Amino acid sequence: MTTLRKVLKLRTVISTSVGMALATSCYLAGLQVATIVVGELAWISVLVAGLFCLLSAMCLSELTSLYPSAAAIKLYIQNAFNERIAITIGMFYVVLGISMVGAESYILSSVMINAHIFISPMVDRIVWSSIFILFVAFLNYRGVKIAGLAEDIMTFSKIGLLAFVSIYAISTIGIDFSPALASPNFTLPKIIQAAGVGVFLFVGFEWVTPLAEETTDYRLIGKGMLITVGILSILYSLFTVALWIGLTPEQRLSGTAIPHILLGRNLFGTPGVVLLMFMSALASVTSFNAGVLNTSRFTYAMARDNVLPKMFSNLHPDYATPWAAILGLTIFSLLVSVVIFITGQYLFIILMAAALECFIYVVMAICVLRLRKKYPDKPRDFKVPFGPVIPVITAVVFLGLMFGIFMDVTKDYAGRVLFANYWLAVVMAGFLVLCTLYSMLIVPVFKKKAAERSATRQRRRPGREDKGVRAAGSK
Amino acid sequence: MATKEDILEALADYQVQCNNNTRLRRMQRDWSKLIHFLAEDTGDYFTMDVVKGEIVSYEAVAKGAPDIIVTTVSENLCDMFWGDLNPSQKYLAGEIKVKASQEDIIRLDAITMIIWPDV
Repeated sequence: MTTLRKVLKLRTVISTSVGMALATSCYLAGLQVATIVVGELAWISVLVAGLFCLLSAMCLSELTSLYPSAAAIKLYIQNAFNERIAITIGMFYVVLGISMVGAESYILSSVMINAHIFISPMVDRIVWSSIFILFVAFLNYRGVKIAGLAEDIMTFSKIGLLAFVSIYAISTIGIDFSPALASPNFTLPKIIQAAGVGVFLFVGFEWVTPLAEETTDYRLIGKGMLITVGILSILYSLFTVALWIGLTPEQRLSGTAIPHILLGRNLFGTPGVVLLMFMSALASVTSFNAGVLNTSRFTYAMARDNVLPKMFSNLHPDYATPWAAILGLTIFSLLVSVVIFITGQYLFIILMAAALECFIYVVMAICVLRLRKKYPDKPRDFKVPFGPVIPVITAVVFLGLMFGIFMDVTKDYAGRVLFANYWLAVVMAGFLVLCTLYSMLIVPVFKKKAAERSATRQRRRPGREDKGVRAAGSK
Repeated sequence: MATKEDILEALADYQVQCNNNTRLRRMQRDWSKLIHFLAEDTGDYFTMDVVKGEIVSYEAVAKGAPDIIVTTVSENLCDMFWGDLNPSQKYLAGEIKVKASQEDIIRLDAITMIIWPDV
């Protein structure tokens, strides 16, 4: 058995996983968690969310060890259920996942206009957001890759800075738990409800699974995901509390989109603003870059598999990047951003992403159970212990969290109702129906056309010149 | 099941098709990789050396430390080199396993897509 010349190390697996999860919108989600439950005790909900994500990471680790492929989620679902369901859920995940960029670009543009307004807040916001999206699109179009070591340095710098800011804030301001413990908001239902939103903080850690093919030992991915969830749990717990105690009540009441920048100003003055702006830009670019990288590859693969229009499989003649897929995702991201700018409902996207993540974790847990039943003897480098207990708990917990999110009403700190969360369910159900219809009505047309093309093509292999190219699954 | 000779014959054709394709050579001009192919049903290894997009050599042994490892059954390997199957489909179905970076996986797939766009 030969091994790759260059393989990823655990350090890079962790930094990639953490890097994808650490986005600017997480600071805001952290504040939202603190708003639902009592701020000083928000860390409990963050840790609960982390614990739940740990269960999910275990399920994903087993699936990765079973199918160590960049096709990851699609492959798990396809083998557990069938191709149609895999296509439907895969597309649903990608489309809604990439819409997160709308919230991310809104918050990043808020960060930028906080520093200086050139024309007007609205125009500046649109310009900054476009620059951000187009910059990341350009990186992907040109195939600019953030090398392993650079990724490690950037991510561990972000972790170090966040930890420093959090510990500094907590140690200088101090925490008084007594009023928080006596608050009517400090109840078990509120803690669990906040944990549902807290799941958003971890969104993206599982996008490291496609890297399984770059490791020598598939267990590294599982180990990396578990360590990542642990790191993020501690980091977010500290930062959420720091954010809460570091902001004045007026700042919390303002419904700001840039709580971390205000925290930086409160703690360190202008240098703090600059530092957190830099962190914000770094977090957004690395997180979104990884998102576009993964989703554009997924789109390319789907087009090659005759699931999406063939144009999305076009590669750039010089850079070998899937430019059509990147362009499509960029346009979609810009459109989502425009909708966010018009409505200002960036929290809607954040909560939708949290609910989507819960949904995907439920699906993954069910995949573990089904694949164990279908392929009990298939070798697994990692198997979740205690039989079906953990996957069942994972599925039940995340299903509960998802419905918990849907049944809630989103309010700001001042108690103003922003929107009823059942609208999240309506939008998500709408997308799911569209993806289902697409896989039922459009995909068969593409597949049929591809089959017709291959049927008329003569095989080149000597002695096998009978017509028809071999499709997947054919012998 | 394809024999070692079948696969070597397919590789010879693959080399000609790749090296004579100007579009592919342009796209892969900065791509140099040592690739191992493993036919898991026969246990045969093949090594392909790609230097700046040109397949400079191939042989039926596992030579050197590879940048990419492709594992599948011998029939798939043979058909892939003859351009008779869509490697992406097989990969997405889990029938072809690749150990490599995502960029290298796309570049490997690009070879088939550019030489035989109708596959």
